[in-house]
Amino acid sequence: MNTQLSRRSFIRGGLAGTVAAAVLKDKKASAAHNFEGYPDAMGVVVDLTRCVGCRSCEAACNKEQRLPEPAEPFDDFSVFDYMEHGQKRRTDEAHYTVVNRYDVPAIDHPLFRKIQCFHCNEPTCLTSCFVNAYTKTPEGAVIYNPKVCVGCRTCLVACPFYIPTFKYSSAFSPRVMKCIFCYDTRLKKGKPPACVEACPQEALTFGKRTDMLRVARQRIRETPGKYIDHIYGEHEAGGTSWMYLSPVPFGEVGLDTDLPNEPILNYVKGFLSFVPVVLTLWPALFAGFHLLATRKNRVEQSHNDANREG
Amino acid sequence: MRFERKLLPAVRAMGLGLLLLIPAGGLAMDVDDAPAAVVIDFLQNLYEPVHFDHTMHLDMATCSHCHHHTIGTGPANPLCARCHAGAGEGDIVACSDCHDAQPFTVENLKKTAEPKLFHIDKPGLMAAFHINCRGCHEEAGGPTGCQDCHKMTEAGEKRFNTGKYAPSGYKAVPKHHDAEKKHE
Amino acid sequence: MEKLTVDNRSIPIVDHFKPDGTRWTLREKLWLGLTPRQYRQQFFRNWVNWLMIGIFAVGIPLILQRYIFGLGSITHGSNDYPWGLFLGFGLFSMVPLSASGFVLGTTVDIFGRKDFAPVERLALLNGLLGYFFAVVYLLVDLGLPWRLPYPLFISPGPAAVLFLVGWHVALYLSVQIVEMIPAFGEWSGWLRGKRWARSITLGLTIAAIMLSTLHQGALGALFTYAPGKVHPLWYSSEFQWIHFLCSSIFAGLSMVIVSSTLCKWTLKWRADERFLKSLDTLTIGLGKGCAFALITYLAVKIVSLAQDQEWSYLLTGWGQYYLLEMGVGVLLPMWLFAVAVRNRWVGLVRFAAFLSVLSVIWNRINTSMIAFNWKLYQEIPSWQEVWVSITLFALYFLVYRFILYRLPVLYEWKGEK
Repeated sequence: MNTQLSRRSFIRGGLAGTVAAAVLKDKKASAAHNFEGYPDAMGVVVDLTRCVGCRSCEAACNKEQRLPEPAEPFDDFSVFDYMEHGQKRRTDEAHYTVVNRYDVPAIDHPLFRKIQCFHCNEPTCLTSCFVNAYTKTPEGAVIYNPKVCVGCRTCLVACPFYIPTFKYSSAFSPRVMKCIFCYDTRLKKGKPPACVEACPQEALTFGKRTDMLRVARQRIRETPGKYIDHIYGEHEAGGTSWMYLSPVPFGEVGLDTDLPNEPILNYVKGFLSFVPVVLTLWPALFAGFHLLATRKNRVEQSHNDANREG
Repeated sequence: MRFERKLLPAVRAMGLGLLLLIPAGGLAMDVDDAPAAVVIDFLQNLYEPVHFDHTMHLDMATCSHCHHHTIGTGPANPLCARCHAGAGEGDIVACSDCHDAQPFTVENLKKTAEPKLFHIDKPGLMAAFHINCRGCHEEAGGPTGCQDCHKMTEAGEKRFNTGKYAPSGYKAVPKHHDAEKKHE
Repeated sequence: MEKLTVDNRSIPIVDHFKPDGTRWTLREKLWLGLTPRQYRQQFFRNWVNWLMIGIFAVGIPLILQRYIFGLGSITHGSNDYPWGLFLGFGLFSMVPLSASGFVLGTTVDIFGRKDFAPVERLALLNGLLGYFFAVVYLLVDLGLPWRLPYPLFISPGPAAVLFLVGWHVALYLSVQIVEMIPAFGEWSGWLRGKRWARSITLGLTIAAIMLSTLHQGALGALFTYAPGKVHPLWYSSEFQWIHFLCSSIFAGLSMVIVSSTLCKWTLKWRADERFLKSLDTLTIGLGKGCAFALITYLAVKIVSLAQDQEWSYLLTGWGQYYLLEMGVGVLLPMWLFAVAVRNRWVGLVRFAAFLSVLSVIWNRINTSMIAFNWKLYQEIPSWQEVWVSITLFALYFLVYRFILYRLPVLYEWKGEK
């Protein structure tokens, strides 16, 4: 009896495993290749030699995205001295973009650096999201759908640029708050985002990402010595739609220079590729272990049964 | 944007004003040909117009500092001189004739994509003014604060949450809490 | 409770029938065969319950505050540290501590080590409740907890590691519920359910191994989404999931030792001879398993250090802290287990198990909170966040004890099964 039982349950176990494998296996298909960005994606070059820290972009963003009233006016420059936990200002639920001041010893005037979503070619917020709340649009924007978001905040953990923020203040409709490249109101219609349009210095130059790379390279080439010979965002984290030109090393203006030149997703692939192995091999492997490990018992048992019957 | 609609006629008027002053000779323009003042008001939605004292600035810079190679005196910038060294007086000299008030329209982005075009990186009108004017002001010690040149309009105050539209509870005096935060 | 069991020979209930031959009703079984008055008496006589009341008195209002005024009202609501104690402790620590179910299930049902059967149900229950409460912690932490089914059914994002975690925890919870049906079936008299659950034991156990391998690993793999944020000593692209899986094995086993020890000390009236007599031997057996798992874990840790060439970090302050974790959290329990098993010092095995439970929690909190954002600053959770975490753990403890009081986990059901 016991033998039969375990054999039957063995078959069921194997079956369950196969079904699980069939159902769950195709889930990794989309993770198999590197996505290098949509060909017509738009981009922005942020030229730190041009930014004067006027905060016009912050003001424009606040109005365009209907964000809450700020704590201080946008022409108050004391915010550049603000520090919390030893950190300068960062994006939060009321600010999709912030400008910070960096006093770099090598040059005689301060530098200002705007930060907002970089709109990665292969965004980690998107690849880490288990409800597909994020979309990389062909226009290059990384947009967010609050209707499916569960509020797990993995995207906040996963973003290498510390951009997405969570509306912790809301109990009933919290959501991720993050720059969406003005997708709904502007980008979709072929217009530049509000911050770009508001920038008096054209520290923000807008165009197709591929053209922006040409523009950035031209600036580096035509004005030797003015810039560090690197376009931050060309390759960082697999390439981003927003890219930076700087007169000083990027680390000195608060940009992470340790980022890999490949999508963050590549770091996860080691585990992801192991998943099908478990789903397909484990059932057979452990059923085999079971048969081997309990073989002696079963042989003894059938002997006993035979003796008893005999 | 709202201010764009207002800006085009203003800019055209500016250009026209300058055109009327061009002598028929086609030689290098003379200082006397320049307009005495130019009203720059294409940002008048957020800021009041700038009354640019052209004559005053003539004492501080050469024409080509601002007008590049279009004025017939040869470009001041050696980068421009590579191609435009011998350029004569152009038909157009107003800033807005080259620098588009809306640099990022679909049409203009097509130019940026032009594979054989050198000037794929031409600033828009607002940037041309600010980069040029503010850059020089910084070097020469001219005013550089935003409102030194243009006072904010009410719409501007609204946009920047300042003046009449300052956040409730905000005190304009240097804030102590910032200093405190730093020591926390 | 012990006093009452002395007074009344019909309790603790181990059979469907009272000594006089009448059947216990389900209600009586729930009241442990006591009158409500007696039940209340024994409840308030226990100082542990007073402690629980104290914890809940503050904790429940805090939880209500969280649901009415938002997560930001009881936590720092940090955008730099999106995951605090609710996940650092509640999810990342509770899940490995609940690996007991699949580890013991494998031992007993796959490898046929029937001698471990007396603690198997305890291990399964420990697993089930640990997972269940990991989900409870998650429900407190999620911004929109009512959307919990979204990743599973409404808007699945199947390429994400968290999707794996979600599905596997959901499936594994179901598996564990079925695995507990035999105990429930015996106690409640639902024998058909029990027989059905028994008949698919092997399939369930294998499913449990698959799901556990994947989601224990997946919890580690979640951190590979933040390669620059977790300090390199606690991070490894290739090995992170193996670290988490491997440490879950000794975590689960140690948790069974800790839990069974507490039962032996405080729930003797509920356990039967089979459990009490075999426990010391089994504890040593479990300790042996812990020692092996710890050695494997240590080896993988060293391999990953070598693979990523991280030796130089060991000389920094972070390195000292890392070595402290490895010394106190891995080497020490490993050595203690080895010595204790060799000399059959059960007490020391228990101490080592307690130590390694703490060390796994320490490791998970290090990975998710302390070594996280190592380039920024250290976030210290608000007292409300700590208190709510403790409250949920107290609730876990109460439910755990509630079930142990009743279902045949520590004892064998005497009645029909």
